[in-house]
Amino acid sequence: MSAAPPSIGVNGRPVALEEVPGDERLLDTLRWRLGLRGTKEGCRTGECGACTVLVNGEGRLSCLALAHELEGTEVTTVEALHQDPVGRAVQEAFAEEAALQCGYCTPGFVVALTGLLRGDGPPRPTPELLAALGGNLCRCTGYASIARAVERARTRLR
Amino acid sequence: MAAYVLVAPASESEALAELAAAPEGTIAVLAGGSDLLLDLEEGLRAPRRVVSLRRLPWRRHRWLSGGLEIGSTEPLADLEADPELAARCPALAQAIAAVGSPALRRQATVGGNLGRAAPASDLIPVLLALDAEVELVSGSGTRSLGLDRFLRASRVTALAPTELIRSVRCPEVRTRSAYLWQRVRPSNDISQIGVAVAWSPGERRWRVSLGGSPPRPVLAEDAAAELAGPNPGETELARASERLAAHPALVTDRRASDEHRRRLAGTLLDRAVRATMAPGRPAP
Repeated sequence: MSAAPPSIGVNGRPVALEEVPGDERLLDTLRWRLGLRGTKEGCRTGECGACTVLVNGEGRLSCLALAHELEGTEVTTVEALHQDPVGRAVQEAFAEEAALQCGYCTPGFVVALTGLLRGDGPPRPTPELLAALGGNLCRCTGYASIARAVERARTRLR
Repeated sequence: MAAYVLVAPASESEALAELAAAPEGTIAVLAGGSDLLLDLEEGLRAPRRVVSLRRLPWRRHRWLSGGLEIGSTEPLADLEADPELAARCPALAQAIAAVGSPALRRQATVGGNLGRAAPASDLIPVLLALDAEVELVSGSGTRSLGLDRFLRASRVTALAPTELIRSVRCPEVRTRSAYLWQRVRPSNDISQIGVAVAWSPGERRWRVSLGGSPPRPVLAEDAAAELAGPNPGETELARASERLAAHPALVTDRRASDEHRRRLAGTLLDRAVRATMAPGRPAP
């Protein structure tokens, strides 16, 4: 067994868990310990999706995960999303469709959609993508422009 | 200062020793955490220690001869990702897809759902209809309990404070099964009612169960008996729906009235059974 101290990767950088209390949620580690405020705190109960980050490439709710529970994983937040071609395409699609008003839910949406579009499987139809985004809430715009952005991103990446 | 100490034992015996050593009420078990973390935040529970099961080798499922064994800490999304699931136990695939959102399902576990024993669990009615057995482990050995006996009341189970849920076993693949629910929002909402049906090829009988209505999901033997053979006709379906709609477990709570639930119960049963008989489905 290696004696490497426990850590998680955040946007490609190792973050030692030794300093992180056991009861700290990933959301708080990101926002308050690492200053990555792009990940939003909405409901803090797993119902709004504003805090979505990628864990090993898949969307997860950072408000419902203790940082220590993710030991050894790679976490990607909205701050690093543009480094991924899929993430960049998703961000551009949201911008082009003006798929936001206050913008608070937007990081969660773009991160979640990036996770859905990154997979190896066959391209998923837009209704399936929209259903898979059912855990992300927007309280400003209604969802029409977000749905258009999903369709735009999907078409571009096909 | 941390509100509690988080420990992640590397083995089953270490995890059980943690439970055995803790005075009752001072320790909590963390599987996925999607429910536990809410309780901790709300102060509904204030353990001094939280035992994470993440290092235990229970995060997988396997197909047994004819059946399915699900490790208690396997995330629902991993089970959902197995293409065999929708073919072999469609009701279970449908119930998993009804839980929270995809992101939540990467965290939530089958064992956590059973340990939580929420009245509106979508998984429990299906696991009842699949005659699931819950495997419990403690320092003094293992025991297996039918899910119906494991569930005691709303959020109350037969799990002892020194026990862990190791796995859930469905003894038989039931290709002709379905789960239907009704709720306000498809994602991230709680079912007002759920109806699971499954034809057992081994026992040559139907299993029907109801969820969503407190205190706990239940098997509906009366309705199942009306369905009789593998291909119930209109009369049998109508009788079974009527029986289910009259089930005493359908009551009023803050999510729905008993009248609403009764109307839905019959309709959902009818649709669920028909879904299992749809063209292209394998013969029983």
